[in-house]
Amino acid sequence: MSQALAEKLQAEFEGSVTDVSSREVARSTPSTQVTVRVERERIVDVLTFARDELGLKFLSDISAIDYLQMSGAERFTVIYVLRNIADGGELILKAAVPEEPAEIDSACSVYKGANWLEREVYDMFGITFLSHPNMTRILTPDEFDGHPLRKDYPVQGRGFRDRFPVISRDAS
Amino acid sequence: MEEGSLRVGIETALGDGYLTTRVDEFVNWGRKNSLWPMPFGTACCGIELMALLGPKYDVARFGAEAIRFSPRQSDLMVVAGRISIKMMPVLQRIWQQMPEPKWCVSMGACASSGGVFDTYTLVQGVDQFIPVDVYIPGCPPRPEALIDAIMEVQRVVEEDSVLRYKDTVPEAPVAEPDTTELPQVT
Amino acid sequence: MPANTNDTIEMSDLTYAQAPSAQSERMRINFGPSHPATHGTLRVMLELDGETIVGVEPEIGYLHTGFEKIAEELSYSQFIPLSDRMNYLSAINNNIGYAIAVEELLGMELPERAQYARVILAELGRIADHLVWLGMQAVDIGAFTAFLWGFTERERLYDIFEAVCGARLTTSITRIGGMIADLPHDFDERVKGFLKGFDSTMADLDRLLTRNRIWIDRTQGISPISQEDAISFGLSGPVLRATGVEYDVRKANPYLVYDRMDFEVVIGDNGDVYERYLVRMEEMRQSVRIVEQALSQLPEGDILAYDNKTVLPPKEEVYNTIEGLIHHFELTMPGFGISPESGAEIYSATEAPNGELGFYLVSDGSGKPYRLRVRPPSFLNYAPVGELLMGTMISDTVAVIGSLNVIAGELDR
Repeated sequence: MSQALAEKLQAEFEGSVTDVSSREVARSTPSTQVTVRVERERIVDVLTFARDELGLKFLSDISAIDYLQMSGAERFTVIYVLRNIADGGELILKAAVPEEPAEIDSACSVYKGANWLEREVYDMFGITFLSHPNMTRILTPDEFDGHPLRKDYPVQGRGFRDRFPVISRDAS
Repeated sequence: MEEGSLRVGIETALGDGYLTTRVDEFVNWGRKNSLWPMPFGTACCGIELMALLGPKYDVARFGAEAIRFSPRQSDLMVVAGRISIKMMPVLQRIWQQMPEPKWCVSMGACASSGGVFDTYTLVQGVDQFIPVDVYIPGCPPRPEALIDAIMEVQRVVEEDSVLRYKDTVPEAPVAEPDTTELPQVT
Repeated sequence: MPANTNDTIEMSDLTYAQAPSAQSERMRINFGPSHPATHGTLRVMLELDGETIVGVEPEIGYLHTGFEKIAEELSYSQFIPLSDRMNYLSAINNNIGYAIAVEELLGMELPERAQYARVILAELGRIADHLVWLGMQAVDIGAFTAFLWGFTERERLYDIFEAVCGARLTTSITRIGGMIADLPHDFDERVKGFLKGFDSTMADLDRLLTRNRIWIDRTQGISPISQEDAISFGLSGPVLRATGVEYDVRKANPYLVYDRMDFEVVIGDNGDVYERYLVRMEEMRQSVRIVEQALSQLPEGDILAYDNKTVLPPKEEVYNTIEGLIHHFELTMPGFGISPESGAEIYSATEAPNGELGFYLVSDGSGKPYRLRVRPPSFLNYAPVGELLMGTMISDTVAVIGSLNVIAGELDR
């Protein structure tokens, strides 16, 4: 079923939708998880088509992967997990985003749930979503510098966690 | 003691050590049996703190039944849970809003030392930035461990003295009177 | 409104009325992050016109811990104790969800006993989560008794969890390939004893709240959501099902042995707070059904798969055979460990008490995940709160936030 969705998508957006890969998932009813690569310039059109024509109205997740340490063409990939609630179809879209400029169109006009999810991707990876209504940090403080989930950001941080005033017992 | 300072009234009355040991015992007995906690529960330790407030491990028998989430009305802050860099200024502000005498219990591994999370966003121990009296290890500590910590705080309170603040001058923020003109009903 | 983390709220832009009856005074209130009804760490900045909310700005991130970052430093098995600390009310469901994701990435098959045991514990975790949710919702609205009764039952559940794995709350109960150790020999009696007491407590709670005039006034008609909005926002779990959408991962894409269990997906009508309450109460009863069925069908057998590439061999083999020693070494030493194929990626979702808990795993062939993305149900459930609160009264804020069951550990990760 997911394979059929991917094929319809490929038929509609020739050239922009490539590299359909699938993976067998062994659950109670074995199913196939299909991943499709999409050109980032056409992501909003693809998502709109998926929502309206393919019935994938449920946006499950938006996240990103930093492929710095694995070889690949572009550094980042933004992932969209879409689902059809009525019949259970699922499709995963991947859009490659280069390091400079790390921009992609926002999906807020297509799915309402994309708002906070994209803010988190911006916060963690530094990928800017164009025409997002409120592109600000969501999990880290506003004055935080750096994008933590990038591979070149250290786990223990760059000292933010130690920069607070010390209140001693006498000064309380 | 200065006028209008944030000090408990008893210290202003006795400034010079007269009969303070008896008074100490009496005051500390009152304070230790009526510790009103300010639960600063953020994460999983907060759930064990709630279990402590529940019927099985009843903390009301320690006089700690009045869980006022207002710092102005409490004297024992229990930091239960991991404190992130966004939350630390809030914690410090709440600590400063609590009136003296006050004590702090750092509950769990995350509040005491950062716990399992050695990351960019968690404070590795709140005792770096606020004064902590009792630490409770565990992840999360059982409510019995928390009860033990409360009893330990009671021992700390017993050894306290009303003369503790005799020579220290507080830096209490003085609130300015509010002189904005409110519209009058005609 | 700008999201200023630590500034004081300016009162200087209050506008004063010329005549006393004009309604042009607006007040800004900072609700949280240290507030009893924000469950620890949520902040909502409200602009009020009298008691009506005219502006909302929620702010999260007060419990951001960096789970996804630290997962890249740990091996697959080492992340299991950390997965507890996300949704700490039902830590078991997080463990099971994560273990299923890794097992699907590896293509592993579990023994039957392990699958049934996981189902029983997952449903007990669901009951535990809903009990705390009910207690906190009731306390926020003002009914303290439900909290005490809920916590008494939860203490009995803690006894069961402690008998199974040694910890009350942070259970860390699964291993990749099965469970830590076999269930205790009196597991059957313990669970049945709990279920018997639980039925009467549920009846008590029902009698206390469901037809209570005050409860209905506080919860009915507050923040209804339409089905299209709910699907567009990506809501899941009881919040979605209360709007009438029938989506439950246990039925849509069954995992473990849920396809052999006979239970119903509970759906509501218009998605308001009262419906969410009714859905969660009925879900607890459906969970009891599932536990009873699973207990009766629980087979004998292994509790851990026997696969030397992913599961630690038993100690007798480690100490007495060279192959056992080598397999143990290869699984525990840094640089080795469970290694799925390089470049393998999977998105695996289970039904946590809050909704669809998903894990997106990317492997690079080493013993550590290259990227672990947690799809938290609380994050997506909380996102529409700005729209839900607009136009309501301030006393409904606690009811709405409580009904969404936002667990900050999962929300902020």
